[in-house]
Amino acid sequence: MENSLLTFLVFAPLVGAALVAVMPKELARVIGVAATVVTFALSLYLIGPFLSAGDASQAVEVFGSAYGDKLHFVERVPWITSGSFTIEYFLGIDGLNMPLLVLTTFVAMLACLASWNFNTWKVTKSIKGYFVLFLLLETGMIGTFVSLDFFLFYIFWEVMLLPMYFLIGVWGGARKEYAAIKFFLFTLAGSVLMLVAMVAMFFYSGEAVSASAEGVASAYRDGVTLTQGTFDLIELATNETIQAYFGSAMFLGARFAPVMFIFLFVGFAVKLPAVPVHTWLPDAHVEAPTPISMILAGVLLKMGGYGFLRMCYPIFPTGGEYWALLLAILGVVSILYGALCAMAQTDFKKLVAYSSVSHMGYVLLGIAVMTHTGFQGAMFQMIAHGISSPMCFFLVGVIYDRAHHREINRFGGLWLTMPRYGTMATIGFFASLGLPGLCGFIGEIWVLLGVFEARHTYTWAVPCAILAASGVILTAGYVLWLIQRVYLGPERPEHAAFPEVTAREMAILVPFAALCVLFGILPKHLLFDFTNGTLDQIVNSLHAVTQQATALASGF
Amino acid sequence: MSRDAINFLTMDHLRLFSPELALVATLVLILAAPLVFGRSSKMAGWITLGGALLTLCLTLGVAGRVREEGVSGLAPQAAAGMLILDNLSVYFKVLLMAFMAGVTVLWFIGSSEKEERGEEFFVLLVGSALGMVLMTGTLNLLMIVIAIELASLPSYVIVGFNKRNRLAAEASLKYVVFGGVCAAIMLYGTSLFYGMYHTLNVGDIAYYVVADLQSHSSVDLATLAPGVDAVMPAARNSLVISVALLCFFVGVAFKIAAVPFHFWCPDAFEGAQIEVTTWLSVSSKAAALILLVRIVDTFAAATGALPFDVQISTLSGMAWAIGIVAAVSCTWGNFAAYKQNNIKRLLAYSSIAHAGYMMMAAAVLVDPSNDISHSPISAMLVYILFYVFMNLGAFGVASMVTRRSDSEDISAFSGLGRRAPLLAIPMVCCLVSLVGLPPFAGFIGKVWILMTLGEAGGTLYWGLVLVAVVNTLVSLFFYLRIVKAMFFSDDGRDAFTPSIPGAVIVNACAVVLVLLGVVFIQQPRDMANHYANNLFRPSILRPKETRQAADHRDAVSPAAALVRRDASAK
Repeated sequence: MENSLLTFLVFAPLVGAALVAVMPKELARVIGVAATVVTFALSLYLIGPFLSAGDASQAVEVFGSAYGDKLHFVERVPWITSGSFTIEYFLGIDGLNMPLLVLTTFVAMLACLASWNFNTWKVTKSIKGYFVLFLLLETGMIGTFVSLDFFLFYIFWEVMLLPMYFLIGVWGGARKEYAAIKFFLFTLAGSVLMLVAMVAMFFYSGEAVSASAEGVASAYRDGVTLTQGTFDLIELATNETIQAYFGSAMFLGARFAPVMFIFLFVGFAVKLPAVPVHTWLPDAHVEAPTPISMILAGVLLKMGGYGFLRMCYPIFPTGGEYWALLLAILGVVSILYGALCAMAQTDFKKLVAYSSVSHMGYVLLGIAVMTHTGFQGAMFQMIAHGISSPMCFFLVGVIYDRAHHREINRFGGLWLTMPRYGTMATIGFFASLGLPGLCGFIGEIWVLLGVFEARHTYTWAVPCAILAASGVILTAGYVLWLIQRVYLGPERPEHAAFPEVTAREMAILVPFAALCVLFGILPKHLLFDFTNGTLDQIVNSLHAVTQQATALASGF
Repeated sequence: MSRDAINFLTMDHLRLFSPELALVATLVLILAAPLVFGRSSKMAGWITLGGALLTLCLTLGVAGRVREEGVSGLAPQAAAGMLILDNLSVYFKVLLMAFMAGVTVLWFIGSSEKEERGEEFFVLLVGSALGMVLMTGTLNLLMIVIAIELASLPSYVIVGFNKRNRLAAEASLKYVVFGGVCAAIMLYGTSLFYGMYHTLNVGDIAYYVVADLQSHSSVDLATLAPGVDAVMPAARNSLVISVALLCFFVGVAFKIAAVPFHFWCPDAFEGAQIEVTTWLSVSSKAAALILLVRIVDTFAAATGALPFDVQISTLSGMAWAIGIVAAVSCTWGNFAAYKQNNIKRLLAYSSIAHAGYMMMAAAVLVDPSNDISHSPISAMLVYILFYVFMNLGAFGVASMVTRRSDSEDISAFSGLGRRAPLLAIPMVCCLVSLVGLPPFAGFIGKVWILMTLGEAGGTLYWGLVLVAVVNTLVSLFFYLRIVKAMFFSDDGRDAFTPSIPGAVIVNACAVVLVLLGVVFIQQPRDMANHYANNLFRPSILRPKETRQAADHRDAVSPAAALVRRDASAK
């Protein structure tokens, strides 16, 4: 089973979906929760090799030194061979996708549990349809994170769209149709450019290989010679021949690397989401049902950041350098603009949505400067946001179930009415704020340090860092103001009848809250130890390539 | 076997072309049966179904006998290429007959109860099918014109079949007028060719055209082959050649419904009854596309003997023309579909856009610079195959829904997710497949085309890649309008149970689309690679013989022969 664990993981939710479809509808939510729990349990098994790092018998030693430590749980079979090319069913785990994968199954499990009260929602049609789509979505998400073949990645990436479209469009709020189509159009707009990049990368790598008559040795697979282009994301990033060609080739009169970088970047920036392509997010979040908002914030947004780390930077390092300033500016603007928008909101859920824009801006900024600390911080920020943000959305959902509105100004004194809820909410929102000791702090501070670290490379790094740091104040502003308006103050009579959080709701909130705290106090043991090996490798090779390019340029 | 033997009419040849003969027999049988058994629409339907399946089986029977480079037969020596049997024509015949059977079944589900003139309907259907089959199996100018007319004339009538419907009458009239004009233009081009070269064989014409064009190109032929000017007959004016080519392709573009020759398409699709729309949306376009491929391939083959840089300059105009028409077609089709509320009209514009995608592959074919390992023809064949399933499914659902509601407006789909989930879910699959998203076959079809374009490289082809992907985005919106109507809005119409065979067909289409999009990705491709291989090439263009019969060739066109010698000397 160990050899095909990832396949089990990807398709376990799909089996669940099939079961939901054929079983009577009373069982739908039971099967749904069971499927997500099983998937989560399977994903925990992935941590094993990382805990016993150094134990070679546990790990599949195929990963070269160029980036990442080793690839684990590799599954690799040719899938489609036609004419000049092979598309592989290539799954694998390294420090980059392992934490995100566990986060995915974790959030999906809790979101599925949050769907338990489906029958009390406004739209209660077709419970079976809901859970089928939910589990399809989970398959798409897991598949996206574990695929290391671009073609496979792209298929999973697109497979997520349709379920999400229906989940928002059928079970959403008042403007659900608008929100659903907007989500679909924005994401597809990004991913069609990615498709162009995929085709171009394949043929350009093919040209790189065919330039040398007898093929090119694979960078990390012993005894394998490439005689054609490849969709293999690791090969594209590590093979020196391909890298050299990507660095020098031209595409329609422009340099290949920057163009492809931006094609990929647009696709991922929409998902992240970075200003100015973020506008789908508030709509989608506000209209989506609570569990779907949790998935959106907790997992889907991370795919943008994951895409940067997996594709844009390792494969097109010179592209990253070329666009560094633009990306950093977009990051800073996202941080500040998102925070200012959040401050202006009167809709509870919209506020949390804009806070996501702001928080993911740190991810973009941290990556843009291309330093070790920046990458680590971006990665941590993604995980931290993946914990705190779904928690916040669920907190909104809990109160929406009781009050049936989300107007911040109509709340007040909820801590007195529901003390346990108030406590949980405070932990969640403080984690989002970035209070030291909670998870949000580590990510933000690491990103800021990373930006400062780049001050010798980029003159604009320090101003960016200062502006981004001021974003922290804005964040504190809107979060504290929110807590004051909603949870503090005198108890209101119209809220007196609100029941305290139920056991089910606590079962969702407590794991989130616990992780918020744990990631805040044990960042090294819970995340950095797992991810930094891979991230450092990526940054090292990044620097090597960009310095080489600079040296070449100055040499001429 | 020598060429003389191939071109001699024998029983063997009759056997090779038995599918066409079977189709003719079906036609006669439908007409003759009422004389014996009395008029019966259903009987005509059954005969058509039987004829389609028989033709299909006969095609499969002769498929094994297709030799390496195809057979051209049923013609005296002078008109080689009159009828062609090769892998490509076999593929199309099988596909068309299967599709005709599918359309007939749709007719049984939908119209058979109230239809009184089924014999006439099926005569026209089979007649146009015969025209399409001939269209894809010929390289003779006269035959091409006749085949296009044979495919068009029944189509004009069948579109206006419901004569009490004013819309149908209008559509038919528009179709006739537009088709007539295009046919006239095409005939003009044809006559120019005949006037210039005194032959009807497209292979010969391509050979002469390339020789002439290349002598006008920027490459100075005299430097390549000194003394050419002295030997060569007065070269034809390249302007006349261009006009002739352009006029000729107008006729083909009309059948493809490529912009700007698409105006008949939305009206005809809207006016015709839905089985006819289904039929025309796939078959007439597919036939014309395959004809285009055949002609373009012949021209590309004619440049094969030239030096590399001359090859490119000679036909790059053709590549750009086809590429631009393709790009404009899919962009125009998708944008025009935006504001359509009639489902048939919407799908008509969608079919224009899809024809554009498929034409992109034809543009690659022109470019002789590729030793194409990733054949554009097979990409197109796969796309056509997938397109059959997508359209059969989408039109099948549309047919049942519009009959139920007596309205062809998109609002007829309102709440279908609740009213008839067994129709709504396959409809979503077909529509998303038409957009071209995974996990459906439409995505794979699109990827093969993009791969072909990417492999060809260069400004034109990367430009087409960008156009194609941006169009995917544009098309999403209007396809989702139908999805939105089915699942997000509900005006409380009655639920209904679709007819069982109808539901089976559309669900089968959806399942096939998923399987072809996820599991069986490679198999259709491999199959198409087989059928795209070894296209029939007129003997004048066959490389092996070219070398053997060099003397003969010198007599035909000394310039090209000299150039070839020069190239081989290097």
